[in-house]
Amino acid sequence: MTTNRHDHLVLTDVSVVFNGFHAVEGLNLNVGQGELRCIIGPNGAGKTTALDMICGKVKPTSGQITFEGKTLNKLEEHEIARAGIGRKFQVPSVFHELTVRDNLEVSYSKSPGVFANALLFGRGADRDGLEKLAELVGLENYLDTPAGHLSHGHTQWLEISLLLAQDPELILMDEPTAGMTVQETSQTVDLFSRLKGKHTLIVVEHDMGFVKEIGEVISVMHQGKMLAEGMVSEIEQHPEVRSVYLGSGGISHA
Amino acid sequence: MSKRTALQIAAYGIVCLAILLVPSFMDDAFILNKYARYLVLGILAIALSLSWGYAGILNLGQAASFGLGSYAMAMALKLRTIPVHTGEAGLPDFMVWNNVETLPWFWEPFYSLTFAIFAGVAVPVVFAVLLGSFIFRGRVTGVYVAIITLAALVVVNLLIIDQQRFSGGFNGITDLAQLELFGLTFDAYSMSSYYLIAISLTVSLFFALAVTKSKAGLILQAIRDHEERVRYFGYDVARFKTFAFAVSAGIAGFAGMLYTIVMEFASPTFLGVQLSLSVVIWCAVGGRQSLLGAALGAIVVTGMQGALSESEIFLETWTLIMGFTFVVVVLFLPKGLAGAIEMLVDRIFRKDDAVPDKSSVAADRCGVESKAGAPR
Repeated sequence: MTTNRHDHLVLTDVSVVFNGFHAVEGLNLNVGQGELRCIIGPNGAGKTTALDMICGKVKPTSGQITFEGKTLNKLEEHEIARAGIGRKFQVPSVFHELTVRDNLEVSYSKSPGVFANALLFGRGADRDGLEKLAELVGLENYLDTPAGHLSHGHTQWLEISLLLAQDPELILMDEPTAGMTVQETSQTVDLFSRLKGKHTLIVVEHDMGFVKEIGEVISVMHQGKMLAEGMVSEIEQHPEVRSVYLGSGGISHA
Repeated sequence: MSKRTALQIAAYGIVCLAILLVPSFMDDAFILNKYARYLVLGILAIALSLSWGYAGILNLGQAASFGLGSYAMAMALKLRTIPVHTGEAGLPDFMVWNNVETLPWFWEPFYSLTFAIFAGVAVPVVFAVLLGSFIFRGRVTGVYVAIITLAALVVVNLLIIDQQRFSGGFNGITDLAQLELFGLTFDAYSMSSYYLIAISLTVSLFFALAVTKSKAGLILQAIRDHEERVRYFGYDVARFKTFAFAVSAGIAGFAGMLYTIVMEFASPTFLGVQLSLSVVIWCAVGGRQSLLGAALGAIVVTGMQGALSESEIFLETWTLIMGFTFVVVVLFLPKGLAGAIEMLVDRIFRKDDAVPDKSSVAADRCGVESKAGAPR
């Protein structure tokens, strides 16, 4: 909290190589505290890989990632999560065998130690809060349903609510609206707009409509590099961005 | 506490009570000893259910912990026989036969029964923590965990057989004194031993249940379900898995100590591959995701094995019958007997509770058809 608002998350010259393939090359990204940043780009631009590196799933080959002044490169996934970074995956990742309530219970991880949890019974200390969360995302009637029985849309909402229960400083969202209806997508926009300010959000999206509706600073990635950064209108006018997206009929139709 | 948990505790309590009441109907010492043996194996199955059923760690080396516990108890009970067998300052008989002249240093502390009981649990736990950190820090999962644990079991087994001078080798440690604790003597063929074991089973069962009902137990189930995902919530998966592995080893070591008491010896077969694999079968038959199911699975399977192999009719076919039973259970009851019972209970309760899940939504949708004829 004490760090500069503008340097909440900083990626400096970050690269990652998979068997000689440069998935991300010399990426620079600077996200301020409380900002809602969208990252767009064509398939294979390295958007998901960028998120993977921030949350520790992939270790960068070179460069530096810092969060609140702390270097993340060498940390394990759980240490990064404890530092205050949460992640929503492209393919909704929840615990299928556990009920919605238990899913939320697991994601509420303020004290992640083994022995603290071995002595924690009743699981009801913050039940009200978790039930309110379920209500917020419209899952209040499914609390005792195994997550594996939920529809795709509901699973997406469940994972979003898991992140809210985890309550990290920085939330990484990988295509949160994939498979959602138009109505659900606009609900998501509402939710994100409310989260902005309290949390820092980085949203990777394909859906240009969604990104426009959010209307914040957009970062465009292409072939593992940062191509452009700016507001929607600036991005739409950007010549390089236009040429990259030309194949798919311009950015408005991407 | 949820209704489900209350129901579970009630079921566990009833079974434990039934086990404790057996001696009121049965006073044949030989049969009680046999039952006590099955109960000890039930505790061993609880241990595996905890690591395999709840944490998804298929430990094929469970018998290593069991055997270490068994030897710890046997060493203590052996030392108590010394004045009787080989004179005042004498050595255990097998050491004399192997020309050992002084008692090895690691035998010394076993003069204390308290130490032996402590070691019977602590040695397997320490062993499990070391092996577990190595496995889980290295993110070894699935079938490779099974292979490593099996290999570790074989190593411990060979080591014990090889060190005949200190361990009795193939023969194990025999001719033991009877356990004396709190002024009671636990003769293997007595009510007191049966009660000791029945109470131990109850304690182990409820202890393991408490572990699964804690938040750590829930996190272990989440790890079983989707290990990767758990990391991103800030939990150190390796530590949680090592914890489950070690608690399971501790319970298995405890069971091993009891086994020495009922069998009146310790043998390398107690940490044999065959026993270790049998535990997996018991858990599969009883239902590995239920602690009680696993315990009952062990009791039923070993009981059946005992009854069939002793009866004259099945003398030659009993292994076939057992094999056939396993195949049937695995094919038709993937969650074991406990899973089948749970399904039945769920069905009965579902009828009363209007659960707003898919089935009711689907029923609304098919409202028209259902008037014409209930779609099934």
